[in-house]
Parts: sequence; structure tokens; C-alpha cells
Amino acid sequence: MRRLVAVDRIGRPLHLYVHHTAADAASHVPDLLTAEADPAADQADLDAISDWVARFSPAVAPDPPDGLFLDITGVAHLWGGEAGLMDDLLARLAAAGLPARAAVASTTGAAWAVAHFGEGFGAPGAQAGVIILPGEEAAALRTLPIEALRCEAAVARQFDHLGIAKVAQLMALPRDQVARRFGAAAPWRLDQALGEVPEALIFRRPAAPDVARLSFAEPISAPEDLARVTRDIAVQLCTRLETRGVGARCFTLSFHGVDGRARRLEVSLALASRDPASLARLFAPKLETVDPGFGLEVVTLVAEETAPLAARQARWDPGEEAGAQDDAIAPLIDRLTNRLGEGAVWRAAPFPSHLPERASVSRAPLAPSQPERWDPDHPRPLRLFARPEPVEVTALAPDDPPRLFRWRGVIHRVRLAEGPERLAPEWWRAPFDAEEEGAARDYYQVENEAGARFWLFREGPYRSDRPVRWWLHGLF
Amino acid sequence: MSSPVQLGALRAALAALETGRRPRRGALAFGDARLDEALGGAGLPLGRWHEAAGEGLEGETGVAAGAFVACVAARLADRGAVVWAMRRPDLYPPGLAGLGFPAERLIQVRVRDEAQALAVLEEALASVGVAAAIAEVGCVDLLAGRRLTLACEVQGATGFVIRRRPFGGGAPAGAKGSAAATRWRIAPAPSVPAAGEPGLGAPRWRLTLDRAPGGRGGAWIVEFDHGPYPLRVVAELADPLLASPQPWRAAG
Repeated sequence: MRRLVAVDRIGRPLHLYVHHTAADAASHVPDLLTAEADPAADQADLDAISDWVARFSPAVAPDPPDGLFLDITGVAHLWGGEAGLMDDLLARLAAAGLPARAAVASTTGAAWAVAHFGEGFGAPGAQAGVIILPGEEAAALRTLPIEALRCEAAVARQFDHLGIAKVAQLMALPRDQVARRFGAAAPWRLDQALGEVPEALIFRRPAAPDVARLSFAEPISAPEDLARVTRDIAVQLCTRLETRGVGARCFTLSFHGVDGRARRLEVSLALASRDPASLARLFAPKLETVDPGFGLEVVTLVAEETAPLAARQARWDPGEEAGAQDDAIAPLIDRLTNRLGEGAVWRAAPFPSHLPERASVSRAPLAPSQPERWDPDHPRPLRLFARPEPVEVTALAPDDPPRLFRWRGVIHRVRLAEGPERLAPEWWRAPFDAEEEGAARDYYQVENEAGARFWLFREGPYRSDRPVRWWLHGLF
Repeated sequence: MSSPVQLGALRAALAALETGRRPRRGALAFGDARLDEALGGAGLPLGRWHEAAGEGLEGETGVAAGAFVACVAARLADRGAVVWAMRRPDLYPPGLAGLGFPAERLIQVRVRDEAQALAVLEEALASVGVAAAIAEVGCVDLLAGRRLTLACEVQGATGFVIRRRPFGGGAPAGAKGSAAATRWRIAPAPSVPAAGEPGLGAPRWRLTLDRAPGGRGGAWIVEFDHGPYPLRVVAELADPLLASPQPWRAAG
């Protein structure tokens, strides 16, 4: 059955309501205009608004389908108080064609209740935002319906059957009896709204205390302006990081445009750092990708993955100390990683496995090195093919080293050969019912008449009931 | 307007400027007078860039040239990091370790194309903390070569270019003029197992020095050695032209 999911300002006075059957609504209002609900698009829009609203405070928690929580603790003074922040937010949303209601309260529950069910909100011309002063939550909640407590519709209906329609009536009832009769949800939500029980919000981004924000009197769009504000905000944030004695490995720069869209740029570093000059240099090539649209009015820079970083005297020759070598090449690695992408820059490290392709793993370039070494007694090729290439081999006997092989259409005569070296995968990696020794390989190092060396292997030991297959795995 | 005298004075001033800006960075001796003398006496000049190429199939696999560069760069690795930029990441660090190269000092970089490989090489050479940088590219033209030379001068890092074309690709445009300090051709050479022992001997390569500053060039057979000088000269070939090896593609 088709039902109404949302009703706009014009529809509400016509006695249309959410959950209204579509056919019934159409009979009430013959010229009703409906549009198909698209929850995915709603969610995407809510995400976009959440990104945008981060210009007010980074602690944003979306509340699907149509709300969001904003933790404005400690940021309201930037707008001259909570009222100023709320008015600015609502004015910007209204300018974007989004009618919205807002409530500021000390508890999440009270703010939600007043924003959704507060008096006079639906009426045109009514105040769109309400501020509940600390300690007045109970008074603000009293007159609201039970639904304002964010409990399930079924529970609210049960209360309704018993004539308990307002929160004030619920407050008057003994808590334990209510909990026994209707479940713990309603009294628990009430306690949350009154601030007697803590409530945790799931923020869209992890709380990052290291945020810098610059807002401009006039929207900017020139590339050199972007570069300049990037430098300025980097200095601002890095100074703050320095006083806390930390550096960060991940920086997110967001430009908020007048169109309400946030343009995010990210830079990740190999080592925690707080050098504003190098940070600005890393962002510089990415600024070209920012489309300023009609102008950018706010820029924020967030530092994540912070780690303690002791203040250090800058040296003019950082390569001198042996221990400082990693620090010295960190800027190069950052530049390369940010230009070529994560994973394009790596350092190899040994891995305890017999299989050649598993014996070497890629690690982050500046990850701490391990004491393990590759076994120098076993010769290994300089070039290893990601996939062994099939070769045709002539050998005197199936178990003998090759005498002649053809690779990529060229025949190589083997002058000297060494082997076999039998390498098998670890038993715990083989399938449980694998045939015995099926995956073992016999490696031969062979030299052709010109002196070029090849690393060939035969798949498994010789068995009369299957063909012998040879592969070329590497070159010395 | 310009008299020959004035021109001469200008040239002298330019030469003084150029040499004055290029400090002596020393050289890396091969430990054998025959090889070092061909390079001008001291050995492979540091703070410059060098080119190593293979022939025939070697031009695609880049094995012998890679081994030669690894042997040389291994001795620079204690001064800083070594950066190796390549399009096809088939370098196998255990094999490098077998050539005495400290693989934990190696930073590998995968690039998309030749231009990016050269850009990474140039950037690495000019960066603090890098002792040597290596790139596998098909060809370095004069302009790119000049840029590499300038990048080498910033910190005194030594650059290496391994000329390697894609598998099955055509031969790159010939190296008509190059700004490399030295230019080498590397080919494998048949090894000689120790008497009475089965298997393979130490790997050998045939080095052909086509271009050297203040040197005369030459060709040698060298053998890998675990001592302080990884490339031990086994034989000097009389005339590099006469001794030019047959590409081993013709072996079949």
C-alpha cells in the first residue's frame, strides 16, 4: 500500500499526515501532487548537509531520515552566542531553500523533542529556532506529546490508549511501574532528555580537537588566494599542535562554498609532522582541483592521527645523524605518496615464508624495520615475475635439470644448472584435501650459453600420470 | 659588437661559474686500476648521473644492468636512502640482498610512465637524505638529462638510469647525445665454476664503458665478489668494438 512519507508546509493544514494512505489522501485533496520517495537520495542529501554544517562545528551526527545533531559546545562564541549561531544556520539553510527547525538545549533529547514537536513550529511566521536554557528542560518537555521522547510508535500508541498523551503525565507516574508495564525505553528516554542519564552520539567524523577555521568577509575564488589561506590556516593549526606537543599524520582541508558544498582535500604523511610550510606545499598541487564555484567563504583544517612529537631544533643538515635518516627522507616520501597515490611508494621487508612470491612484503616506507633478514645462502633472482611464465623444457630425464628451454619464442641452451631447491607452501596454507606434495616446486638456477641466468621451476615432483610442467619465475 | 676577445672572456667567466657551482663530490673506486683509470683515475664520479643499458633481450628485462647498478649503489647506501623508480615493479629484494644491497635502505616507487619516472628520479636526487636514485626508463633526452645533472648537484646524490623498454616494445629512439657522466652497456657473461664443484660459478658480467669524463672507456669482464669491491675485474677486453658481444637473442 502506498503511503505518504512526508508532507510539506502547504499539505499540513489540509489534514494530510505522514503514514496517510496515498489513495485516501488523494480523495481528500483531489489535486494532490505527489513525488516518489527516494530514501537513498535523502540520505545523500543529509550527508551533504552534514558535511556543510561542519563549518559551524566539526562534531556532526546525522539523525536519519531528516535531522542532524550538532555539538556546539565551545564554538557558539564565534557567532556571538548560541542565538547568533542558530540564526546564521537557519538563515543559510533558508537561503538554500531548506526550511528547517532548530533547538538548542543542554541535552540531545530535549533539543530533539523541541525541534520536532515544539509549540507553534508548524505555523507560518513562527520562530524557527528555540533556545532552552540549562535547567529548563523539564518545563520545555512538559507540554509535548509522548512521541517527543523518541520512543517507538507502538509504545507511544499504548500510552495514548491509556490517556497519557503529554510528557507531563508520564513524569507524574512512578518510574518503576511505567518501566514494568511499557518497557524501559520511555522512562529511559525521558531521563536522557532531562540529562539524568548520559547519551552518546555517533558523530560523522571522529572527534578531532585539532581544528582550525578561517572565515572570510568576502568569498574568495582566485587560486593565489586559496594558496594563501592554505598557508595561513596551516600556520594557525600547526602552532596549536606545537603547544600541545603533538604532530599529525593526516590533514583534511575543507573549503566551504557559498553554494553550501564542502570541497575536501586530504594529505597523509609518512611521519607525524606539524611543519606548516611542507603542509602547504603538499596541498598546493591539489588546490587546482578545487572548483570554487561562486566563491568560498570558510576554510577548515582538521588534523587527525595525532602523535606526540617533541619540539626539535631545526638543523641545516638533517642527514648527518644516523638516526635522523628516516626524518630526512620523510618529506620526499610524503611528496611522492601524495602525488603517485598510496601504495606506489614502499619498502620491502622479509616475511617468513618459503614461497618466493610471499617471502617479500611491501611495507610503508617509514615503518620501523625488523631485524629479520633473507637467507643469504639461497640464491634469489633480481627480477621476479608476478606470474611465472610457462616455458617448454627439454630434459634428459623427467627428474633432471633442463638442457634446453624455450621462453618467449627464443631457445636457450643450458650450459650450467644448479638445483633442485624444493620449495613448498606452508602446510597450513594448502587446502585440507590437497594431494600430497602437489604444490611443491623444484627450482633450478640455470645459465645459458651467453651467461644469462634464469630461475626455472618444475611443478611438483615427477609422476608418471601427469605431464611435467615448467615455469620461468625470475631472472638473475 | 662582439670581438673574439670579449667572447673568450665571457666563455672563461661562464666556465668559472659552472665549475664553481659544481663542487667536487669525490668518486667511487672499483678497486681495480684497469677500471678506475678508464674512468679518469679515481673511479665512478659521484654527484653525477650514469646510464646503464642492456642489449637484446637484456634491454627488456634489465637484469644485468640492474645488477650492476645495485652493486654500485649498495656502496652508497650507508650515506642515505636509495630510491628506485620503475614502471613494472618486478624488482625482487631478496635478490638484491644477495648482491650485498641493504634492501631495508631501498625505497621503491611505482610510476605510471616515463615522464613520471624521470620526475621522481629528479625529485629524489634533489632531496635531503637520498644517497642514490635509480630509474628504469626507455630513453633520456638531452633536456631531461640536463635537468638530472642539475638535480644531482643540489645534494651531491648520484643518479642511475637503467635503460629498459617495455616487454615486446620496439627499440627506443637511439641515445643521440646524452648528458650522462658515464654510459655503460652491461651484458651477462658465462661464469666459471670453481674447479671440481658442481653448479654455477659467481655471476659475471661484461661491462662496456662507452663514455667517461676524462677517461678512455673500455670493456671488461667482471665477477661478483663478496669483498669490499663487489665487482672484481677478471679480464680486460682489448677493443670494445671488437669485443662487442653478440646479442643472445641470436643464440637459438
